[in-house]
Amino acid sequence: MVFNSLQFVWFFVAVYTLYRVLPHRAQNWLLLIASYYFYAAWDWRFLGLLIGSTLVDYTCGLLLGHTESHARRRAILCVSLGFNLSMLGFFKYFNFFADSLQGLFGALGWQLDFVTARVLLPVGISFYTFVTMSYVIDVYRRELPPTRNLVDFGVFVAYFPHLVAGPILRASRLLTQIDAPRRIGRDQMRDGAWLIAWGFFQKIFVADNLASVTNMVFNPTAHQPGVNVLLGTYAFAFQIYGDFAGYSNIARGLSKLMGIELIENFRFPYFVRSPQSFWRNWHISLSTWLRDYLYIPLGGSRRSEARTARNLLLTMVLGGLWHGAAWTFVIWGLYHGVLLVAYRAGERLKWFNDWISGPAVFARITSWFIMFHLTCYGWLIFRSRSARQLGTLTADLVTGFAPRAINTEALLVPLVMYVTPLLLVHVCEAAYDNLLIVPRLPRAVRYSVYAATFYLIMLFGNFGGGEFIYFQF
Amino acid sequence: MADDVSRDRLRRLTLFAAILALQFAIFEVGLRTWGSSEAAPAFQGLFENDPVLGYRLKPGANTRFATDEFATEIRINSAGVRDDEELGEKPPNERRILILGDSLVLSVQVPFGQTFGELLERRLNSRGSPVHYRVINGGVQGYGPVQELLLLRSLLPVVKPDLIIETLFVGNDIEDASGAEPLLEPRQRPITDTVREATITRLRRIVRSSMVLQVLRLRVLAATQRFTRTAGPPEPPLQSYAAHPAPRIDRGLAIIHRVIQQMQQEGSAAGARTAVMLMPARFQVNDEDYGHLRDAVTQSGGTLVRDAAGERIDQALRDIPVQRLDVLPPLRAVGADVFFQRTVHLTPRGHQIVAEALDRFLRESRLLDGL
Repeated sequence: MVFNSLQFVWFFVAVYTLYRVLPHRAQNWLLLIASYYFYAAWDWRFLGLLIGSTLVDYTCGLLLGHTESHARRRAILCVSLGFNLSMLGFFKYFNFFADSLQGLFGALGWQLDFVTARVLLPVGISFYTFVTMSYVIDVYRRELPPTRNLVDFGVFVAYFPHLVAGPILRASRLLTQIDAPRRIGRDQMRDGAWLIAWGFFQKIFVADNLASVTNMVFNPTAHQPGVNVLLGTYAFAFQIYGDFAGYSNIARGLSKLMGIELIENFRFPYFVRSPQSFWRNWHISLSTWLRDYLYIPLGGSRRSEARTARNLLLTMVLGGLWHGAAWTFVIWGLYHGVLLVAYRAGERLKWFNDWISGPAVFARITSWFIMFHLTCYGWLIFRSRSARQLGTLTADLVTGFAPRAINTEALLVPLVMYVTPLLLVHVCEAAYDNLLIVPRLPRAVRYSVYAATFYLIMLFGNFGGGEFIYFQF
Repeated sequence: MADDVSRDRLRRLTLFAAILALQFAIFEVGLRTWGSSEAAPAFQGLFENDPVLGYRLKPGANTRFATDEFATEIRINSAGVRDDEELGEKPPNERRILILGDSLVLSVQVPFGQTFGELLERRLNSRGSPVHYRVINGGVQGYGPVQELLLLRSLLPVVKPDLIIETLFVGNDIEDASGAEPLLEPRQRPITDTVREATITRLRRIVRSSMVLQVLRLRVLAATQRFTRTAGPPEPPLQSYAAHPAPRIDRGLAIIHRVIQQMQQEGSAAGARTAVMLMPARFQVNDEDYGHLRDAVTQSGGTLVRDAAGERIDQALRDIPVQRLDVLPPLRAVGADVFFQRTVHLTPRGHQIVAEALDRFLRESRLLDGL
């Protein structure tokens, strides 16, 4: 059941109608049942995993609350991490490692015929395992008291707006809101409605329309002149942004309607001037998770430069692998790790610092331009289906930039047409530094944005688009 | 206080309505200037209302139709068929072949000179025969077999054909025929139906005059269909090709049978012979298309049989003594580039293949002998 389906519309209308009339505790029961139904609608067989993960981490949280012994606390934490990571490892990475192993042994001339089983990937597993792990780690670190209410904890893990594609929420933020009675204000309703509409715009108008441009360029059998590969890469940059930010906005909007605030997951990631800023503004809930639960425990930047570089590379490679079980994701993670390490090295140079963070217009434009293209090359790695395709596309990228080689009708026009309205709104949001500026603009302006959003979705939206890209992660 | 609130609400509503109307106008102008769909008024200007057929090609209409894949000039002559020239009086040494069908015959995607009818005409006239052949394109976008029979009735006295070739598009003609049964036997209907139809026609005219409204109408239709489908299990698409089709498919086949029989009888009474050409759908030729559709049908609980529709029509027409040509084998033999990517219509290469197949068919079947 995807947000952009009529099945979901029926589901939400029914749930929301009940939600508005029920008292607080009954609302939590309703959210739990609705969330399990929402998840079971994908594949009911995996509901057991979700419930299992919830029960294990709820119990671990309770046990941590009952013991002061450091060794026992550590053992409980290991049980929780072991359970979640083995579940994630098995369901998400079994096929990848089996195939890689088979490939390796095949290259050595040995046939490994026993690895023939295929494991299905339960939707959202990467998201909810990270959610539950963060809870147990926070309790272990005594940053959070364990909850004693299983229903509340169940809602925290399975809460349907964020269940299958995030944002990855922390208990300190969500559990407290689930525990307390909610008041739904008028502003929340208005902001929620706008976020939903804007999220649909990002998905249906931007992402799903750009998908055909991207598919044409990233077709494994096609060779394109470099300029068209570049346009296709731009298209994918905005497709994946529209798709994922669109999902996050719909999730935030739905949640606002229910009186629950989710965090901003994207904040103008393509307007930044450094790799560090990019990761502070792209998939914020994942990058902060990786920072707090992986990078800092590894030592962060507290030791030598070499150790910091190792920590950055390891964090980013694992972050890449989190996105999917394929070598291109590992390369993508490594690429971003290298960018971060190089950026840290550059920060020690005065001219670099002046250039990257100085106020001069030229410096601002050039540093933004370079960072945007470095990010885009990352997307080229991310979108490639294999290392071989990545090599071909990279080779294509350095040739064929004659103006007549541009595929204007199939690439340039759609790219400009589908990205321009998105950028106009973003420029306005960035100018006010507020992602919810549109509902606060003067009446005539905001009505114009609402009307334009409606017409653009209805006249040009791709209603046949599929699932959200991040569901596969 | 309450008055202030309602006045403010009214003011806001008026402002929003005004902005909606203004943007409507902007999008309308934009779409008319840059839009290239069949909903464009330039394209819709090719048609006019018809009391019997609903709509038909407008005599004397002229337009340029351009999309990402093609740009063509379309001219409708005074007889109401696509042709760059007028038909005029039929000279004694002229033999006329009228090809009836839907958009696959009309072929707005290719210049008139590249349509299979024109290519056939050139082939027939290149052999030094004492008679001059004239192939007339009687295709109309969106028609089904029933409308094609009704169109034939109006064209017979004007065109005076010697041979009628009815082109059945196997992709949708069975469904089209099934839905057009009332046109075949017009009956006296209650006044409420007449008023309803008049209102619908008026609304349609309004919608047709605006590109924005036409697109919105399609969106609303699609949403309504999705909403109504949730009431029961969805019917797998492409029923004409289904292993176990819905009962309306049998009804559609029976109507096609009746239409061809009547075409043959009425044509024969006017001194014309009749033949049938079966035109396949793109997925029957394109393996990738077929794979997508097969998966979609399987997912919705059905089974897609790739050539079932053509075979069903062929079977249904067995007892009628008309010659039949199925252009699936020659198109499939060529495979690539016979259909456009973004429409399901023939490319110039596809037209060439069909013209060759028709030429061969006319020689082998001796349909032109003794005319």
